[in-house]
Amino acid sequence: MQVQVHELVGAVHEAAWLPWAVQYFFLIAISSTALLMALPAFVLGRTGDLPKARLALMVAVTTGIVAPVALLADLHQPFRFWEFFVYTHTTSWMAWGAWIVPSYVALLLAFAWAIHRPAFYAMGQENWRFAWLFRLLALKGEANGFARLLGLGAGLAALGILLYTGTEVAVVRARPLWNTPLLPLQFAATGFVGALGVMLVLERVLNRDGALEESLNRGLVFALAVVGGLGIIWFTVARSGLSPAHTQALASVAGFPIWKQIAAWGALAIVVPFVLALVAPRNTGWATGLIAIHAAWMFRWTVFMGGQAVPKVGSGLYDALLPSGFDGLMGVIGTFGLWIFLLIAYTTFFPWADATPPVGRRPTTPAHPARSV
Amino acid sequence: MDTTRRGFLGAIGKVTIGAAASVAGASQVAEAAQTDTPTAVPHWGMVVDLRKCIGCQACTVACIMENDVPQDAFRTHVSVYELVKDGQDPAMVMLPRLCNHCDDPPCLPVCPVEATFKIDSGEVLVDASKCVGCGYCVQACPYDARFINHETQVADKCTFCFHRTQAGLLPACVETCVGGARNFGDLNDPESEVSKMLAHNEVSVLRPEMHTNPNVYYIGLDDVLDGRVAGEAAYHSEMADSVSSHEEGL
Repeated sequence: MQVQVHELVGAVHEAAWLPWAVQYFFLIAISSTALLMALPAFVLGRTGDLPKARLALMVAVTTGIVAPVALLADLHQPFRFWEFFVYTHTTSWMAWGAWIVPSYVALLLAFAWAIHRPAFYAMGQENWRFAWLFRLLALKGEANGFARLLGLGAGLAALGILLYTGTEVAVVRARPLWNTPLLPLQFAATGFVGALGVMLVLERVLNRDGALEESLNRGLVFALAVVGGLGIIWFTVARSGLSPAHTQALASVAGFPIWKQIAAWGALAIVVPFVLALVAPRNTGWATGLIAIHAAWMFRWTVFMGGQAVPKVGSGLYDALLPSGFDGLMGVIGTFGLWIFLLIAYTTFFPWADATPPVGRRPTTPAHPARSV
Repeated sequence: MDTTRRGFLGAIGKVTIGAAASVAGASQVAEAAQTDTPTAVPHWGMVVDLRKCIGCQACTVACIMENDVPQDAFRTHVSVYELVKDGQDPAMVMLPRLCNHCDDPPCLPVCPVEATFKIDSGEVLVDASKCVGCGYCVQACPYDARFINHETQVADKCTFCFHRTQAGLLPACVETCVGGARNFGDLNDPESEVSKMLAHNEVSVLRPEMHTNPNVYYIGLDDVLDGRVAGEAAYHSEMADSVSSHEEGL
C-alpha cells in the first residue's frame, strides 16, 4: 500500500548536547591517544621515538586539561558536578566516566610532572627570575623512577577514556546513528588521526624536523587507513543488512542530500591527507595535519550534532547540525582559545624539548635544560 | 479539602456528559488514592482513543498552564498528519505524544546520578534537586519526550501530573480533553475504564521495537505513525530544505 504522510503540526526538539560536548569528545580523544603514543618512549625506553613522544606528551597534557572544562560547560547544572561522585549510578556509562576522567587527568599530569621533574630541578638550581617556581615544581628532588608506573597507570586510564566515551554514546538505542558497535572503534581511530594532526602542525611550528614530520605522516597514513577501513566496513554491513543496527543507522539519514554531502566530505577528509602523507611524507605536514584535525573534529560534530538533528519520532531533520548563537560558537572558540593559551604557556615555561625517559638514579649534575624564559 | 474535591469530582462524574471519560477516570484516581492497603497500589496508564482526538491542542495548553512548561518546549503535544493512502482522499490523523512512563524506561539506567526514577505506581519522575542537566536521559528517550528546561536547567518531562493524581485528580491533559480521547486510570484494576478499553479494543504502542513496555496505549494508531514518521515535515530546517520527503530507507 502506497502511503504519503505530510506532517502538519509537530514539535522541533533542540539538541541537549551542545557543541561543548563535541569539543570535549574531540579533545579527550586527542589527549588519550596522544598519551598512548608518548608511552613507548617514556615508559618502554624507545629513545628513537623521543622527538615524537615529546610532542605527544605536550598535546596530551594541554588537551587533557581543556577537555574536562568543555565537559563541565556542557552540564546545565555545572555546580552540581560533585553529585557524580556522591550518587554514582553504576548502570550509567557517564557515571563511570565521571570517575575515569579525573583519574586520567590526575595520572596524566602526575606522569608529565614526573617526566619533567629532573629539568624542573635543574632550572630551580640556576640563578634566574623564576628559579623559585621551578624549585617548588620539583618538590625538592629530581628522582623520577616512579614515572614509568605513573605512565602505565595513565595509559590504562587513557584506554578507559576511549572505552567509556565510545560506549557511552554507542549504547543509546534511541539514536540509530549512535547505536552502532563500530562507533567506539571509530572514535578511537579518529582520535589518533586528530592527535597526529595536532602533532604534525606543532612539529611544523616548533621543530621543523623533516625526519619527525615523515615519521608522523607515516603514522597518519596508518591511522587514516584504519579510519577508512572502519568506514568501509560500516557502510558494507549497513548496506548488506548483516548488522541491523548499522542498517538502521544508515536508514536514519539516507535520502537527505545534506548527509550525502557530509559522507562525500568525510571521505575526502580521509583520502586527501592519506594520499598526501603517503606520496610526500615530507613538506606536507601543514596540509596533512590541518586536514587530519579537521577530519577528527568533523567526525564528532557529525555524529553528535548531526545525530541530534535526526528526529526520533517526527519527520524531516532538526537544525541541530547547524547551531548558532552563544552556545554554538563560544563552545568551539572558547575551548580552542583555552587550549592555545595552555599550549603557549607549556612551550614557554616547560622544558618540553628536554624530556627523557625516567631513570632510577640521577647524576648529581644534570644536563642543562633549554630554558625558554 | 482533598476529600471534598474527590467527592465533588465523583458527584460531577455522575451527571456530566461532555467530560464523561475524564471524570470516570477521576473517580478511579480518587478511589486508588483513598485506598492505603499495600496491595492496592495503582499502576497508572493512559489509553488514547485516536478516533476521538480532534487535534484541538487543549491538552497541550492545559499541560503548559498546569506545569509551567517554558515556551520553547512541550511535555505533551498533538502531532497532526495528513495521510494519503493509495491516492485516496487525504485523512487527517492526530497523535497525542507524551512520556510513555515505560516499565523498562531507557532514560533510567543512563542517569549518572539516579535523578530519574520510577515509583511503584508507574510514573517515571525526575528529582529536579538532584539532576545535573547532563541531557543523557534526553538522548536515551526513544519518544523525544524529555527536554532540558531552560528555566530550571534540569531534565523535564510529563509526570502524569503526579501532583494532581496524589490529590485524587486527573492529569491536566485528561481533564481538559474535549473529545474524551485521553483516558487515565489504574491498569492493575480490571474494572477501571482504561483496563476495559485495553480488553475490548485493539491497541498499539509507539516504537514497539524498543521493548520499553510503555504505559501509554493508542486505539486506532496507524502503523506508519508508530515510529519515526517518514514523510514531509511540518518544519523545514535549513539542511532539509532541498528534501521534499524522507522515505526512511536505503
